[in-house]
Amino acid sequence: MSSDVHTLTVVTSSSPAARLRKRLFSVFAHVVLVGASIVMLYPLLWMLSASFRPENEIFTSSSIWPSSISWDAYVSGWNGLKVHFSTFFLNSFIISGLSIVGNLITCSLAAFAFARLEFWGRPFWFAMMLGTLMLPYQVTLIPQYVLFHQLGWINTFLPLVVPKFLAADAFFIFLMVQFFRGLPKELDEAAMMDGCSPWRIYWKVLLPLSMPVLVTAAIFTFIWTWDDFFGPLIYLSDMRTYTVQLGLRTFVDSTAESNWGGLFAMSILTLVPVFLFFLFFQRLLIEGIATTGMKR
Amino acid sequence: MTFSIGRREFLMGSTALAAAAALGGPARAAAERMRLIFWGGQARADRTYGVTDLYTKASGTAIEGDFAAFGDYWPKLATQVAGGNSPDVIQMDYRYIVEYATRGSIAPLDEFVGNALDLSDFDADQLEGGKVDGKLYGISLGANSAANLLNVAAFEEAGVELPTRDFSYADLPALAEKFNSGNKRAGMKVWSDNSFLEPALENFLRQRGKALYTADGQLAFDVEDAVAWFQLWADLRAAGVTVSPEDQALDANDAIETTMITLGKAASTYAHSNQLVGFQAANKDPLTLINYPRIAAGTGGGHYRKPSMFFSVGGSSTIKEDAAKFINFFIGTAEAGAILGVERGIPCDASTRAAIAPGLDAQSQAALSYVSNLGDLLGALPPPPPQAAGEISNPLLRTKAQEVGFGQLTPEQGGEQFHAEAAAILARAKQS
Amino acid sequence: MTAHSIGATNAPVVRAVPSVWRRLWDANAGGYLFLLPWFIGFLGLTIGPMISSLYLSFTNFDLLTPARWVGLDNYTRIFTADPKFAQSMRVTLFFVLFSVPLKLAFALCIALLLNRGMRGLPVYRAIFYLPSLLGASVAIAVLWRQLFAGDGVVNDLLAVFGIEGPSWISNPRYSLWTLIILAIWQFGSPMIIFLAGLRQIPQDMYEAASLDGASKWRMFWKITLPLLTPVVFFNAIIQTIEGFKSFTPAFIISGGNGSPINSTLFYTLYLYQEAFAFFRMGYASALAWILLAIVAVFTAFSFLTSRYWVHYEQ
Repeated sequence: MSSDVHTLTVVTSSSPAARLRKRLFSVFAHVVLVGASIVMLYPLLWMLSASFRPENEIFTSSSIWPSSISWDAYVSGWNGLKVHFSTFFLNSFIISGLSIVGNLITCSLAAFAFARLEFWGRPFWFAMMLGTLMLPYQVTLIPQYVLFHQLGWINTFLPLVVPKFLAADAFFIFLMVQFFRGLPKELDEAAMMDGCSPWRIYWKVLLPLSMPVLVTAAIFTFIWTWDDFFGPLIYLSDMRTYTVQLGLRTFVDSTAESNWGGLFAMSILTLVPVFLFFLFFQRLLIEGIATTGMKR
Repeated sequence: MTFSIGRREFLMGSTALAAAAALGGPARAAAERMRLIFWGGQARADRTYGVTDLYTKASGTAIEGDFAAFGDYWPKLATQVAGGNSPDVIQMDYRYIVEYATRGSIAPLDEFVGNALDLSDFDADQLEGGKVDGKLYGISLGANSAANLLNVAAFEEAGVELPTRDFSYADLPALAEKFNSGNKRAGMKVWSDNSFLEPALENFLRQRGKALYTADGQLAFDVEDAVAWFQLWADLRAAGVTVSPEDQALDANDAIETTMITLGKAASTYAHSNQLVGFQAANKDPLTLINYPRIAAGTGGGHYRKPSMFFSVGGSSTIKEDAAKFINFFIGTAEAGAILGVERGIPCDASTRAAIAPGLDAQSQAALSYVSNLGDLLGALPPPPPQAAGEISNPLLRTKAQEVGFGQLTPEQGGEQFHAEAAAILARAKQS
Repeated sequence: MTAHSIGATNAPVVRAVPSVWRRLWDANAGGYLFLLPWFIGFLGLTIGPMISSLYLSFTNFDLLTPARWVGLDNYTRIFTADPKFAQSMRVTLFFVLFSVPLKLAFALCIALLLNRGMRGLPVYRAIFYLPSLLGASVAIAVLWRQLFAGDGVVNDLLAVFGIEGPSWISNPRYSLWTLIILAIWQFGSPMIIFLAGLRQIPQDMYEAASLDGASKWRMFWKITLPLLTPVVFFNAIIQTIEGFKSFTPAFIISGGNGSPINSTLFYTLYLYQEAFAFFRMGYASALAWILLAIVAVFTAFSFLTSRYWVHYEQ
């Protein structure tokens, strides 16, 4: 990944001293990054070790190495519930995939309106949009449940997906507004001079320049939907409709016999798709601007 | 159904209502399907679904089961009930049954007793435990009793004999001295600090001839009792009997995985008899169970056989009789009993109990024998806790006990504040 | 600037004097059409439940029986007779005050480091994002105890330096800090947003500046930071709102009751207890609207000051 902006342009004077300084800085940066990586990785290693550990050792042993390695937890986790864990994966993929599509389309439309178009009442609606971010969801839960129940949507994916197609997640609107406002306005003005409609400006000018923020939104939508627990808990009751997070929570009840090994083993497995998704899409995030070749 | 129609229209807007009308609500033909909700983990779900499958085969009624962990269960249930989508059969906790019964969210079952519900072999005290204001709202799924779990291996290693049923709080300092001198495990104490546990306080009060609550929902103990309680634990703490307040505070919610015995910080933990299996699964060392200590030699009556959980029928259920039949099958047949074991407590139906007893594993046997042989330790069943008792039990008692433990309050202040604030909580609940 | 409505370009060039309505349409239709999905969602799904929670805040709604109007009783009690309201507000303010700036500073520093042309950067980025992938899973609660208990990993490390640490997570003096550390540790989201922002800064500005002989430091202050301000502003607002609403970490780690001694009783945790454990949804709704008011005032203030330091493309 060498599309970096600083290094491309800054290394114009390359005296030996400057090169040495750069080398030293690079070593220093790596030391910092490796050190930080260990702190970041520790939990994952710990979870991995817990998933191979006999269940009755999980809570007492603070060593990261399991005394013996056993795959039992993976088997009991995958097959142990009445419904296979693969079903939960499929459900989570469907919900997350639809959420990405919905969020990218509708949030970018709304963000374009707020960032670039003039219309009556814009500040008011913008404030309203932000206001929806501020109320704790715990108190709107029941009215919302009543609504979805009346629509006959309980125990389906609709309460989890339809709001995404109606730009209900103000976080992403606000995020995109901030990025759109960071793009040069001469671009749209020039396009408008050429007689472009707002739709063409949105589609042909702004969106292609906004790959980084669109990819960011896609990554966050995927991960947050994948990790969401409370929505599925409330709206899904048939185990065949469960998501992975709901499946994970069924392993453990703190008042009774639980399958902690299964929890940790399946937690590791549920991390794999989000991690791969992130690895793949962050590439787009980084390459975004280079491929669009933006010129002012 | 909580919202009146008028307000719901207001909530939804007329377009949504029209859409709802077009789609039609979920159709429910009577007794073709029944919705069941319970809390528990995978092990309990497996057993429960084993029984629902049997019932479906026998009756033709499909049962849609749904479960969640205890902490997740209550918001999920409350949302469904408040949203007008109550399940038909609801697992209920002793602490919440009054809250749901007095608000009409679960239905009285008296009309089904003798026909759909055959309770002729059912233990009288367990039947009584499911009553609110004289009406039967819950059928106990099992009896249990408060119990002290002991780490047998840790006692053996330290060369200390296990406490007996005649053990009293006064014997604890001597026990701790022996345990501490023989103990080879770093940082392990003999006893958890149980001053924050409502069942422990209740047991203590009952041995003093008091109780937590009167039948009409007032406090049934005095300030002196509360002060004596906190003083008792302050003395035990000072004598090196219990774990440090810091360690005890790791146990934030009575979860099996955070109790002192599971974390290896104490050789004993107060819990309930039906949890022995769950504790054993999370502990490497063999465990056994014993009663709570007596407050003095010869006192008893602190324990009681408590309904561990109930099945209740949703107040808005349209198939109450079918629901009652299912409950009857669940508690009263040997096939169901064989699958359920004592996981939810000791079955309350005498014939079921007799049918399953021979097939139980060692731990289930231990739990069964413990609950059956409490003898002079056993007292009468207290009235169900009043509304808002949960608030007194969990945040209030826990907080006051921690404040005393960390030295922010003296036992006197702790006792006074606990009594006063508990009374205020009860008054507030009555008023609203 | 006036926005053209969709298809306006195809309109006949010669037009009669447009009516008032026509002009209103031309000036506003574009914006409202783009906002249409959001409007449907807002009016159909969001505003109804919000208004009903506002209504419920003036009632004694207990989840299970119909709500009864009690006027301002809930609000009066909150402000005059509720020590837990004050305590949870203190806890939350403390949390926001420390976790938000530290998390943002961390995220920005790492993003700047990761925006350089070094080997292995994708791997580092992925690793740094890992804690955020974990979300608030139950495993975090177990892990945090393993780290911050009296015999935990952190104290093992401190023991190397001869320091005997307390049980950080269960001591009321330090427990909130372990949650602040958790929040900082999950700095992945603002980091990614900063990275995306850095990527959106046009390269030619740096090229021009380096031709003028500007130092790297100067370029950071004169180009990177100003052009990044919209994103800094976004992250600050969002993290603050999220901080005030922070619920799940305290819920899973403190067992849902703000233990020990209410030292981790976050505002929304208290609200949740009131609503679902104590059956006082009306009271909880009042708490929620007070939080909304506080956050709204803070956000409005931030927007007012933003014109002095946030740099948008003109």
